[in-house]
Amino acid sequence: MKITAEILQVLILILGAPLVRGIIARMKALLQRRQGANIWRPYAELFKLLRKEDLVPPTSSAVFRLAPIVLFGATACTTAFVPLVHASALLGSYGDFFLLVYLLALGRFFLSLGALDGGSAFGGMGASREALVSSLAEAPFLLGLVALAISASRTDLAGIVAWTLAQNIFNISVVHILVLTSLAMVALAETGRMPVDNPTTHLELTMIHEGMVLEYSGPSLALIEWAGAIKLHVMLALLIALFCPWGMASTWSGLGITLAVLLYCAKAAALLILLSVIESAVAKLRMYLVPDFLGVASAVSALAVIFTTWVKR
Amino acid sequence: MLLLVPLAIPVLGAGLILCFRNPRVATRVALLLGALEIGALGAVVWQVHARGELRQGLYLRADGLSSFFLMGIAFISGLVLVYASGYLRHMGEGRFSSPRWFYALVFLFLFTMISVCLSANLGFLWIMMEGTTLASALLVGFYNTEGALEAGWKYLVVCTVGIAFALFGTIVLYLAAVKAGMSPAAALDWVSLMDAAPRIGLDPHLVKLAFVFVIVGYGTKVGFVPMHSWLPDAHAEAPTPISALLSAVLLNCAMYAVMRYDAIVSRAVGPAFSHTLLLIFGVTSMVVAGLLILVQQNLKRLMAYSSIEHMGIIAIGLGLGGPLGLFGALLHAFNHSVAKSLLFFGAGNVRHHVHTLRIDGIRGISRSMPQTSAALLVGGLAIVGLPPFSLFISEFAILSEAFAQARYLVVILFLVVLSVVFGGFAFHFFRMLCGEPDRDAENSRLIPSEYIAMGIAGSCLLFFGARIPYLFGLLLREAMAVLQ
Amino acid sequence: MGLVGIATEKILSSFSVFLFLTILLLAVARRISTCVLLFSLQSAVITAEVLATAFQEKLVGVYVVGLLVFAIKVVAIPRAFFLLTKRLKTVRDVKASTTPTQSVFIAVAMIYLSYAAVHSYGQAVQVPDDALAAAISLILTGAFLMVSRKKALMQMLGLLVLENGIFLAALITTFGMPLVIEIGIFFDILMGLLLMGIFTFRISDTFEHLDVSKLRRLRG
Repeated sequence: MKITAEILQVLILILGAPLVRGIIARMKALLQRRQGANIWRPYAELFKLLRKEDLVPPTSSAVFRLAPIVLFGATACTTAFVPLVHASALLGSYGDFFLLVYLLALGRFFLSLGALDGGSAFGGMGASREALVSSLAEAPFLLGLVALAISASRTDLAGIVAWTLAQNIFNISVVHILVLTSLAMVALAETGRMPVDNPTTHLELTMIHEGMVLEYSGPSLALIEWAGAIKLHVMLALLIALFCPWGMASTWSGLGITLAVLLYCAKAAALLILLSVIESAVAKLRMYLVPDFLGVASAVSALAVIFTTWVKR
Repeated sequence: MLLLVPLAIPVLGAGLILCFRNPRVATRVALLLGALEIGALGAVVWQVHARGELRQGLYLRADGLSSFFLMGIAFISGLVLVYASGYLRHMGEGRFSSPRWFYALVFLFLFTMISVCLSANLGFLWIMMEGTTLASALLVGFYNTEGALEAGWKYLVVCTVGIAFALFGTIVLYLAAVKAGMSPAAALDWVSLMDAAPRIGLDPHLVKLAFVFVIVGYGTKVGFVPMHSWLPDAHAEAPTPISALLSAVLLNCAMYAVMRYDAIVSRAVGPAFSHTLLLIFGVTSMVVAGLLILVQQNLKRLMAYSSIEHMGIIAIGLGLGGPLGLFGALLHAFNHSVAKSLLFFGAGNVRHHVHTLRIDGIRGISRSMPQTSAALLVGGLAIVGLPPFSLFISEFAILSEAFAQARYLVVILFLVVLSVVFGGFAFHFFRMLCGEPDRDAENSRLIPSEYIAMGIAGSCLLFFGARIPYLFGLLLREAMAVLQ
Repeated sequence: MGLVGIATEKILSSFSVFLFLTILLLAVARRISTCVLLFSLQSAVITAEVLATAFQEKLVGVYVVGLLVFAIKVVAIPRAFFLLTKRLKTVRDVKASTTPTQSVFIAVAMIYLSYAAVHSYGQAVQVPDDALAAAISLILTGAFLMVSRKKALMQMLGLLVLENGIFLAALITTFGMPLVIEIGIFFDILMGLLLMGIFTFRISDTFEHLDVSKLRRLRG
């Protein structure tokens, strides 16, 4: 039963990812008083792309063709570390949050390499911007997770979630509020959402993530899009698991797991609504202001780590 | 009951003056109210001398120290009102810059300062001290020029921040008192705090912390050196009677507040801590201000820095303690007020006739304005502490106390700064008094109001330098008794 | 009254968290209106703490003080600020002399310093560490805002944050001073703000701008 539940977590994260994209797009359209596309549209897009032909630039090397596969593989791997319905994960005992952060970084690194290898100007520009954003986002990401790990005295994500489950929901912890602020900002930066990057832009000069994938087509593009969606889903699930895990099943019964899945869907829906509202409300930051944005996240994470020494819980 | 009268007169008077639109009528009413106020203050001083202490309700109290400072306030405000009655003939007519607004604000200002001296409760003292800042800010920015507005804004902001720190100090002292077992109502009352001081001093950390904040906070109003940035601007850009009031009366009131706290803290944790802090601030202020006097280019700024220097000297006297030090400090507070008022009156006259206050723009006034320059000369000689004048007595007393306590560093710095200041004043005044005047001695005769004000001030300096009047000496002794 | 009691306890134990958040957000805010809104939220948190203290200690005077704080600092002063910004037609930018990242790091350093100060002096008074540290950080933040923001309105706001911190420190340690004194202090602050408002009008008229760093005629 344990393995089944954990495999179920992985499947929900991987297969539910395009649905997350679709829901966000639909909500943003509703906020803009348009009708918007069907929420299942991204699945149709993926099927369409998988059936198309894969074109590569003549000047590219094997890296260009390898990048989408590595990206998808690394991102799919991270889904095996995030607890969803129970405070455990498929590969939970094999790695801690460092591995999660750096798996995501591995995927991103290969995507940048692929973009550079594609030989287009926009690919190079997107890759350099992505390098800036990701290097600045790494510090608050790690510091925030370190602060949580110090509070929980565990480094594996499943253990941290188990510790959080044992806490009283009404004892507001300073450390957690600060890390939530910081990780929310990091999530926006890592997944390429507003205000750091506009995922729906068609202007190449404003693209960060989209610029890197301009040269891809067919199944490679499908893998990249899917990997992006999985990353968004993983970050959302991470935020929910770290800060609001109550409702997760404590036993391995079918009823408990089903309830946990439903509760997760409710929390994810709430978070998606919030994300859509934020995306519709704020304007994209100019590139030279992004370091300020991430600098604030770093300072808040640093403060959270400092607080773990003062706050005895 | 008597204590309410000197508080009621300025407040009601301010409202009354606003009713008279004619400047001359307003001036006469102001002078009349001033005379009434001086009479009321004199009555209070007399009663305190006869009975030792007056109380009114929870918040008002007058003892020897209050009456000494009240006497100073009465004297100087009288001189200032007399001088202002003539000075305002030069003032233009604006919506809010007419003489009646001037006098109304001056009376409100006087009300707050007298309340400071009459307060029995440290919280009330704080409220009224903040009130002095508020009442005088509009007076500092009275002329709507760029300089005046900048000076007024800086004054308001810096002094409000300083007083906020003093509030924090008051709260910490209140906390220490409550922790030592006093009831909340009594924990802010000065007399009760003095009585319970040894008990409070059993936990010295809070009391010392309180005093640090209080000396930084109220020290901002006194003009101690790291916190003095508002003083030269405010005193230079304000109208001359207001500069005199600020330098001569407000700084003394702030020093009064510091003295009250010093008394409590000395009794609680021993005099060493508070007196050391007072000495440090005093010596620093004296040295820095004395050196900055050399490079001044504006006459009123020069006098403002001289005020800072003299406040430093008073702080040194307080910090040394002992009968001579205390005597010197209190006497110096009075003497400095008189001398500084005289100097500012002279500066006001200079400004009206030469139309500038830049020292290098003023030449040969000994020929174009003989009477004013005589007054300035007397004031200048007095302020640097030369013998026939009264400041010599008070500075000599403080110096003797420093010698007696073998604080030779203080003595050396004191003497060096005095010499430097003497040199600076001599240099600046020489440039102003001698040389060829730009204008003839036209219209430079003093009008009666200026005559009276400057004459009284100058003769007071000379008279007190010769011997201290008996009554004054009695009041001084009573003031000292409160602090010992 | 069980629910109110629980709510009171939760407020008292966790209000400092929200104050720290407002401090960090004040450090990065770039428009005057945002800063005023943050000040208003901060005062609302402090009001909650005052009322919770009044409920727990059963002091009637503290209720009055809480209502005063709400009426003056949450409602009246922010509205006055908004009116002032509209009348003055000034540029909305805060004109900070430090970048947002630097400001946040300085805010973090100040929070750390205040905790350190509370640790050394905290044995003298029996109060929860968090609350007193929040009060001292507010004082330091107010001072920092006054020094690093070059608009006259921001200096006024920094002063208000400073007073908030002092008021909170007084409340936590002594449950408020005698009522009359507290009312007098409020009155003084109001008058002070009124005068500063008058001065900003005059400065804006005379100088055509509200940048106090350009008020540097008087020097020496």
